[in-house]
Amino acid sequence: MIFGFLLMTAKSYGQQDSYMSVQYSVSFGTGDMGDYISKTSWRGMLIEYRGYVSSKIFVGMDAGWNVFYENKDYDTYTQGTESLSGIQYRYQNQVPLLATLDYLIVTDKALKPYVGLGIGTMYSERSTDMNLYRYELNSWQFALKGEVGLLYEINYSSAVKLAVKYYNGFKTNSLGNQGYVSVNLGMAWSL
Amino acid sequence: MKKKFIFYLSIIILLGSCHPGGIEYYEDTDVVYTNYDDSFDFQSKGVYAIPDKIVKLEGDLLEGEEPAFVKEPYNTQMLNQIKSNMTALGWTKTEDPADADLVMFPAVWTNTTLYYYYDYWCWYYYYYCGGWGWGYPSVSSYTTGTLLMTLVADGDEYIDPTRVWTANINGLLSGAYNSSRVTKSIDQAFTQSPYLKTN
Repeated sequence: MIFGFLLMTAKSYGQQDSYMSVQYSVSFGTGDMGDYISKTSWRGMLIEYRGYVSSKIFVGMDAGWNVFYENKDYDTYTQGTESLSGIQYRYQNQVPLLATLDYLIVTDKALKPYVGLGIGTMYSERSTDMNLYRYELNSWQFALKGEVGLLYEINYSSAVKLAVKYYNGFKTNSLGNQGYVSVNLGMAWSL
Repeated sequence: MKKKFIFYLSIIILLGSCHPGGIEYYEDTDVVYTNYDDSFDFQSKGVYAIPDKIVKLEGDLLEGEEPAFVKEPYNTQMLNQIKSNMTALGWTKTEDPADADLVMFPAVWTNTTLYYYYDYWCWYYYYYCGGWGWGYPSVSSYTTGTLLMTLVADGDEYIDPTRVWTANINGLLSGAYNSSRVTKSIDQAFTQSPYLKTN
């Protein structure tokens, strides 16, 4: 359904134009985040803007949203002399907001592999529900992103974009390093 | 531009809320908390006493009000479950608390939280913004139940009776007593307290 919307709104994509892209994201937590929620996130989206600098280089902005959720089975959590047993419902929302730079490895073919970097901030919101209580940890983190992907020109006016991105939000006082890999598929069209 | 904005908005809505899933059944709220005094040597002890009634905390006992107790058969069901767990950990029950190393004090209480909504008409017409005076509020409520088990030591090493183990079982009440929820949680309190085992 989302993909249908994407196709409907794809207007044009040109090799030497700035472009917008909307992508659906599937994500996997790593490190501390993967320990907290091991399940795959099927709720995610990404909006990108890329400005033309040269035929090989684009700079722009990424704004994403990924929702992670896991229902942990009844378990016991012990700290010191205290133990607490119950079911936990764990949620984590990640909102990366990044400035980006992409480098196209190939420019003269329909299939254009590229690599990219991002720098900016990521809002992390972690909620743990147990009994009738919710325990929340929120933090704005300094974030870096590495990316590899493919742009495939369907025709002169539009392209499909497939990207694998790794986000890392750096440790703050309230939350440790938060990292995740996201696989993104969407459409790009020129502005 | 407007079309694109609607398009972005529709995708955000399609993705659902930021807190998907959650509690479905009353027992999903059940939690068991335990804590103990790690300087107390449980292993060297082995005799405990327990009252034959579970007190229901309501009113103010310090003000001289009579204590209430849990009704039968729930009282006996809970006490038997506690006793069987203590036996399994090697403890011997005595009738006289003066002979006991530890005394187990079980207690229960309920807590009802009421929500009142009386101002939700206000957005439509300011005349309705008067608050309580304009009719009955909408009310909803929930009730939680707690079973507290405390092991108290008053041997030579303590000047005053001292709590050395506490278990607090809590969950959302459905309105009907569910013995399996209570039994399971009592068992869990002892399962997560292996240090209670005596030689």
